Amino acid sequence: MTVTQEPVVPAPRGTHRLTTAKAIAEAVALEMERDPSVFYLGEDVGAYGGIFGATGGLLERFGPERVVDTPISETAFLGLAVGAAVEGMRPIAELMFADFVGVCLDQVYNHMAKIHFESGGNVTVPMVLTTATGGGYSDAAQHSQCLWGLFAHLPGMKVVVPSSPYDAKGLMTAAIRDDNPVVYMFHKGVMGLPWMAKNPRATGDVPEGAYEVPIGTARVAREGSDVSVVTVSLSVHHALDVAEKLADEGISAEVLDLRSLVPLDREAILESVGKTGRLVVVDEDYRSFGMTGEVVATVTDVDPGMLRVPVQRVAVPDVPIPYAHALEYAVLPRHDRIEAAVRRAVGA
Amino acid sequence: MTDVPFPALSQKDPNAEGVLATWFVADGQTVRADELLAEVQVDKVAVEVPAPVGGVVHLLVGEDEAVTQGRPIARID
Repeated sequence: MTVTQEPVVPAPRGTHRLTTAKAIAEAVALEMERDPSVFYLGEDVGAYGGIFGATGGLLERFGPERVVDTPISETAFLGLAVGAAVEGMRPIAELMFADFVGVCLDQVYNHMAKIHFESGGNVTVPMVLTTATGGGYSDAAQHSQCLWGLFAHLPGMKVVVPSSPYDAKGLMTAAIRDDNPVVYMFHKGVMGLPWMAKNPRATGDVPEGAYEVPIGTARVAREGSDVSVVTVSLSVHHALDVAEKLADEGISAEVLDLRSLVPLDREAILESVGKTGRLVVVDEDYRSFGMTGEVVATVTDVDPGMLRVPVQRVAVPDVPIPYAHALEYAVLPRHDRIEAAVRRAVGA
Repeated sequence: MTDVPFPALSQKDPNAEGVLATWFVADGQTVRADELLAEVQVDKVAVEVPAPVGGVVHLLVGEDEAVTQGRPIARID
């Protein structure tokens, strides 16, 4: 019989191959085993395993007291999580879509994010708010936003945005162990879900045990010398595809995966742009008042002379995400727009 | 030699088809019993396929291939 699959190299010893969704569930399970104060709550996180698969198998292992299906009442269950965290638990609360934060924003930015500050540092809120982001699958204006720029703009929360199975597991472990509130934002397109568009970069080798990826450190996803493409999440995958394609033409693009917006690894941005002198920032969030501007300011605040050519920003123009497939693809920062921006930056 | 069938996903339709979504192991790899082999999908339902026994796995269908439930997707020697 013929196997049409691309040859897969067996996973190295002590690792196994997982999708990002399964890597997140594994991180949560290992921490729940290690620490009885960790519990998970949200809509459809129990029997259904999370609509994006991030809690698959947890209910069977840990029972309904630690994997809690909540009513559709975000203010109530996020408030519950904040209260539990203040009392010493380590809750992980799942907001099904980041787009829904509007109904519970007071619990997030006035309570979760400010209690530590308002108590003069005497009270910590060691919780994780995890949420699905991103578009590309015709889910329209209320289910496709990234919104990490919104969370990053409001002080008091770390904001983590993984792009790979390895980082997703290590960052979730770090987020659970962190004494600060951490907003953990996973793009649906990096989860490796069978019903989403196939994305080979959403499956990868992951160590079997627990490990941390430190929050606030960027990763050079691909080294290059002509231009720096600074981005996060699913756009890292697109940028890597573009960089591979342009390498054939002799254009050497470096891809920097920021991995978190708060803290922002400004040193890594400066180091990369210091080397290449050309900057393309790619963000699936809205363009204005967001991540792209912050990354550019990181460079110009220090030395605008580092930039040999004007910066290229590739983001969602300031419009709601359209439902119609062609219109949605026109506003998302996909391969065509990233490639065009890189070409403009290098003058090719 | 143990066949690994595509899981039964529909009682109504014995010829229900699904898709082999993702292989987590390589052809010829040695696997442990219960190790995750694949994820398969029918409509929006995803199901994990663990190894029924340990041994060397041989993949019989490729990713994205449509498979009738019950048909072998792999063999473990």
